[in-house]
Amino acid sequence: MRGGCCAQQALAHVIGGQMQILGSGTGLNPDFPSPPVTPGIQDVVTEEAAVAAPEGSELKVTTLVKEGDPVAQGAAVACLRHAPDVCFVAPFAGRVARISLLAGKKLSEIVLFREASDAVETHDVTGTKTDAGLRHLMQSAGLWPLLRRRPFGGLPYPSEKPAAIVVMATDTRPFAPDPQIALEGREDDFARGLAALAQLTEGPVLVCQQADAPVLAPPKGDNKFRCVTCGPRHPQGLAGLPIHQLFPAGLDAPVWDIHAEDTAALGALLKTGVLPMTRLVSIAGQALREAQLLRTHPGADLRQLTQRIVLPGPHLLMTGSPLDGHPARWLAPRDRQVTALPRETAQNRPHWFIAALTRSAGKTPAIPTAALTQSFGAGLPAIPFLHALSAGDDETALSLGILSLLEEDVALADYVLSENGQITAQLRAMLDRIKTEFAA
Amino acid sequence: MNRGLWNRETVAAILIAAYLPMALFWLWLEGTDALARLGFTALVIAVWHLVFMLTRAQAPSLAAVTAAFAIAMLAPEDLGIFRLALGISFGVVMGELVFGGWGRNVVHPATVALSFLGYGFPTAAWPVLDAPIAWAAIPAALIGMATGVMPAQVIAGAVLVAGGAAAAGLLGEPALLAGGIVLVLLVADPVTSAITLPGRWINGALYAALLTLFATGWAGAAPIQIAVAAALLTSLAAPLLDEAVLALWVAQRRRRHGRT
Repeated sequence: MRGGCCAQQALAHVIGGQMQILGSGTGLNPDFPSPPVTPGIQDVVTEEAAVAAPEGSELKVTTLVKEGDPVAQGAAVACLRHAPDVCFVAPFAGRVARISLLAGKKLSEIVLFREASDAVETHDVTGTKTDAGLRHLMQSAGLWPLLRRRPFGGLPYPSEKPAAIVVMATDTRPFAPDPQIALEGREDDFARGLAALAQLTEGPVLVCQQADAPVLAPPKGDNKFRCVTCGPRHPQGLAGLPIHQLFPAGLDAPVWDIHAEDTAALGALLKTGVLPMTRLVSIAGQALREAQLLRTHPGADLRQLTQRIVLPGPHLLMTGSPLDGHPARWLAPRDRQVTALPRETAQNRPHWFIAALTRSAGKTPAIPTAALTQSFGAGLPAIPFLHALSAGDDETALSLGILSLLEEDVALADYVLSENGQITAQLRAMLDRIKTEFAA
Repeated sequence: MNRGLWNRETVAAILIAAYLPMALFWLWLEGTDALARLGFTALVIAVWHLVFMLTRAQAPSLAAVTAAFAIAMLAPEDLGIFRLALGISFGVVMGELVFGGWGRNVVHPATVALSFLGYGFPTAAWPVLDAPIAWAAIPAALIGMATGVMPAQVIAGAVLVAGGAAAAGLLGEPALLAGGIVLVLLVADPVTSAITLPGRWINGALYAALLTLFATGWAGAAPIQIAVAAALLTSLAAPLLDEAVLALWVAQRRRRHGRT
């Protein structure tokens, strides 16, 4: 534990309450076409919704409901097979329409139909002063899937103690909704949520925010909270860079991250016993007539959300930003963005001869440019890192801090180099390999 | 799908655009003779790129044009077609294509070709480039640095050290002009220069230091020859500089955080 102690001292020493991770000008803001945003925020609850596993994760679950059962808002519909405390909950009151599991009882999706009912699951909030009680509440109320751990990503283990928790009160992804708006009027809930998070860790709680939109005043005295000022350019507003710079995740030092809005939801859960389901979501993209900002729930039906505002013609709906989104039918548990893009058709594919020259050949290497350096916020040696990724050199990647990074952190480099997801896939493959290697 | 534009071929195209001011001045001053040399060099390189595309499915790159330009401009004169073709082939194949093409090479193919020609045929005279071409290297470097395809730190490091040496009277005007041209054409190549930030400063400074050393201590060498030799040694040292900088960076992180 000597390392952890040193890190704490260094953190307190270097920073003293308020800190800036990188130069404010580093990073890139790629420009994607999108229509202007219609003013106003409306609440939308879709007619159908799904409880689905986060993209790329394979979760073995036990279903707690059968098809046709009525469910209340916030009622558990499934739990993890090997950690029955961790539940997935219904975003609204309705009826279970379809349960589809993959081979090995892995969760694919549980589709729900909304019904006119105001049944709401209320949780017992006594006993949350203890670590075990708080964990139990967070796990059973469905807040656990909103947390993410590094290294390797995915849900935190049920009894894992994080070395630090990062709260993201900024988001620099293109078209991301401003967390400041999401937190308006919920300052008390946010403060209560932060206090609860601090209870879960012995390390610091880092609150990442923009310089011009602070959500937390620099703490006085010696407490666990630290303010991190992030620059306005991507990827400074992702959790990866602050973690990589200030508190690298390690195999025995997991770092969790959670969005500020979800922290406020935790605060509300602790006060009322009911987990608020709505979240601020932005809808943008080239295939739309108008962009929107609205409040909806996780697992919302993307088709219904975009039905009235999409342009005619084939289009692709993605949960997440244009940089790191995935084509999907439902809004993913942690996503706050919906992107609608025109679907690639036969006409805009390259000429077959150009394709033969460029695609059939081996992959072309990345050339070191300023754009590539900036795509990691100039925070780590980009080229050696990409070389290690493409060569499968786990050891170098580990020493350069791959354990602090996830797919979304390299998505910008992928975009800048126009690699079409290659780098993201390489990162995931390497993380999986490291995970199996160290699990053995 | 949405894509950025900084893939290998765009970077090569921007590099070509950056070299255009130099190319135009050079062609204007040297005339059709230079144009013929450029065409011949490009032809030989294109043949080798074609061979590697057909036998090893290695995508040809626009960077061949930048290599052709550097070789045509800096190669010793009066070699004859056969020896020139031999030198170009050696440089392009052994310096770039056997490593997997542009982006995977360790040394600039033009540096290898020029060194091969210079040391292999020492009687051939090195070209003397006029001052306007050296001046045209300044806009070339500015375009390259502004678009980010040339490492600005390499150029800045070299300019600082060379400026100091010139002020101390160690670097004469011919060596300074040739050094500037070679800096832009060969040393500030994004692939073969150092890739870490401090490494790039040292890389540029090392080039200028070697240039000064050769200019003061290498009697009877032509300015271009001096600069090419300095460029060759610098690009061979670049991976070592990167390795040292990365080791320091990792050690610093380990000390600060207890892990990496």
